[in-house]
Amino acid sequence: MRTYLIYFFLLLANAAFAQNPTHKARVSAQYVKVMNREAFIALSAKYKGENGFEPASGLAIQVYKKMPDDSLFYLGVATMNPEGKTKFVLNDSSLAKTKESSVFTYVVKIENQSTYEDSETEINIADAYLSAAVEAVDSINQIRATLTDGSGQPLAGQSLKVQLQRMYAPLPIGEENYETDEKGSITVPIEAPMPGVNGELTFEVVLNESETYGTVKALVTAPIGTPIVDQSTFDKRTLWSPPSKAPYCLLIFPNLIILGVWLPILLLIINLFRISKAGMNT
Amino acid sequence: MNTAYEKMINDLAPKKFGWKGNAWVAFLVVVILAGMYSYVQQLKSGLVITGMRDYALWGIYISNFVFFVAVSLVGSLITAILRLSGVHWSTPLTRIAEIIAVAAIIMAGITIIIDMGRPDRLLNLFLHGRLQSPILWDVIVITTYLVISLLLLYYPLLPDFSILKRHADHQGWLSKWYDRLSLNWSGNEKQVRIHAISLQALSIMIIPVAFAIHTVTAWLFETTYRPGWDSTNFGPYFIAGAFVAGSGAVVVVMFVLRKLYSLEDYITDDHFDKMGKVLVLLCLLYLYFNINEYLIPTYKSTKEEAMHLQSLFKGEYAVLFWTVIIGGLILPVIILLFRKGRKPLPLFLVALAVVLGAWWKRYLIVIPTLSHPFLPIEGVPQSWHHYAPTLMEWSITAATLASALLIITLLVRFLPIVPIYETAEERGLTETSQPTCS
Repeated sequence: MRTYLIYFFLLLANAAFAQNPTHKARVSAQYVKVMNREAFIALSAKYKGENGFEPASGLAIQVYKKMPDDSLFYLGVATMNPEGKTKFVLNDSSLAKTKESSVFTYVVKIENQSTYEDSETEINIADAYLSAAVEAVDSINQIRATLTDGSGQPLAGQSLKVQLQRMYAPLPIGEENYETDEKGSITVPIEAPMPGVNGELTFEVVLNESETYGTVKALVTAPIGTPIVDQSTFDKRTLWSPPSKAPYCLLIFPNLIILGVWLPILLLIINLFRISKAGMNT
Repeated sequence: MNTAYEKMINDLAPKKFGWKGNAWVAFLVVVILAGMYSYVQQLKSGLVITGMRDYALWGIYISNFVFFVAVSLVGSLITAILRLSGVHWSTPLTRIAEIIAVAAIIMAGITIIIDMGRPDRLLNLFLHGRLQSPILWDVIVITTYLVISLLLLYYPLLPDFSILKRHADHQGWLSKWYDRLSLNWSGNEKQVRIHAISLQALSIMIIPVAFAIHTVTAWLFETTYRPGWDSTNFGPYFIAGAFVAGSGAVVVVMFVLRKLYSLEDYITDDHFDKMGKVLVLLCLLYLYFNINEYLIPTYKSTKEEAMHLQSLFKGEYAVLFWTVIIGGLILPVIILLFRKGRKPLPLFLVALAVVLGAWWKRYLIVIPTLSHPFLPIEGVPQSWHHYAPTLMEWSITAATLASALLIITLLVRFLPIVPIYETAEERGLTETSQPTCS
């Protein structure tokens, strides 16, 4: 009997402490720098589950910076959202360049996770700077952008995208890509007038997912758009307003009709009393 | 004692039901109870028990509601329009028309509540209703029409109640009720004057209100931008259809009551002949509107309209559509053009087909359109694209129809089917001992 009990408790313990099967997560890391704003590592992870690739939600990823002596400097941890994505923001100290070079190396690791195997991914990024400005030449607005490396040398032959920030997704301007010239510059005319809040348009010039420099983005805002006029009818009396803001004509005429019908109805009901009263006297 | 007068009262006074009447009432009560059980399930589980989903968000409840609204128009046609036109042959039919109108409009109001997913929020419609919305106009106009219809039923009954309170002396409780409801009617000059003015006013008032109820009901559809409903023709189209449905209902009821109560002396073959002529005229009018409703969209054939019309002419609803158009409109017109077709029995059968056709016509107005919206609804199962009423829906709908018939049956049990006072006056049958208006 005692033996059976021991087996029983062992089984229970086994069930209680049993771990889920271990998955091998595929981690993608992308360095993104928005000039004069922020720099971060965009992380995404997925694993091959029963229904194909599934997002590795809840997965914690350790982020390190590789030092010149190959030691790892711990920067922090990022946890994946339900879509298996997260963003690890790099602060100024994380970005501090070494004296020897303007190349950063970051290491992202999956360590000591119960459901995922340990793994490691390394990204090497060379520092780059992107500047952009809107200027008017012969009454035509144009965007001029210049891409340089960490030492200020122009980067020629790089593909840049120019796009306008919109609510849901950026709107491409001009051609799909513009290649930088020997000065590391591009010039893109802005032809069609475009609407913007208070006439302000924010353009993005993007070096997208470069193997050497990662994603580098410069934003420039210029008051060259057509101001968006607020067309809200919230305070107006419309057909779609709440009852308190019904159009006057729809308050006056229906109520007049209702009165015009219900007053005679009231009189007809009173007439029933008059008939009854007239019968009492006879 | 004037024997002719006495005979007329005996003929026209309400009579106790025999076994057939009681069995009929029992049958209706059973149907209503079954519907009430289904409605309780709907209250518990919500509209998910119906076949209505994202596409067909209006089902047979709404088509049934439109049918009831249509039938209720008959009160204004037979009573008001013919009365104001100085037509006297319709006098024996006025009470039947008024009873049908009252029953139909009561059930129209109840049917709308049945269609509500949350009937407990009904009061919100009045507290927070928007005057911009045709839904609120419909609520207002239905309430108004119900009150006017009740008054139009009640006013002509005042002298009849006075007559019946004496006739029903042997039934104490009934006599007391007739006495109370007669409002001390003695037929004195003042009473007759107020009565006549009030009836005239009611007859005038009910016509615009009746037209309004059908126009507003049509606007419920028209203001929703959908193929098949996007028409400026809908108001008159609905009114014409309502006249057809209502007249058909009157013919059916008058045939049954004439047979059951042996009213051949009062509801004569001539009444059927004339009602047949009225019905053929109304059917032709409605047919004209139908041609307008279908021919022009077919001619233009925009993508969505073409898809909608295709489903009616050749597709999913083709059998029903052509049965309704041919069996419920074209054949009745052809049959009723002949004198023999306007004899009581053939006319009864034709009217029955017209009423059935009218019910299914409302189904065809409501359902196919919902299956073909201008903007398809994304991400819904394929089964939601088609609507088929569930058993629960059928049972609730059958209960509403049975309720309307029960209201008619009970009113027929306690009210004279043919107006006694007016008939006596028209036939010059007055007795010194009886109240008169002259």
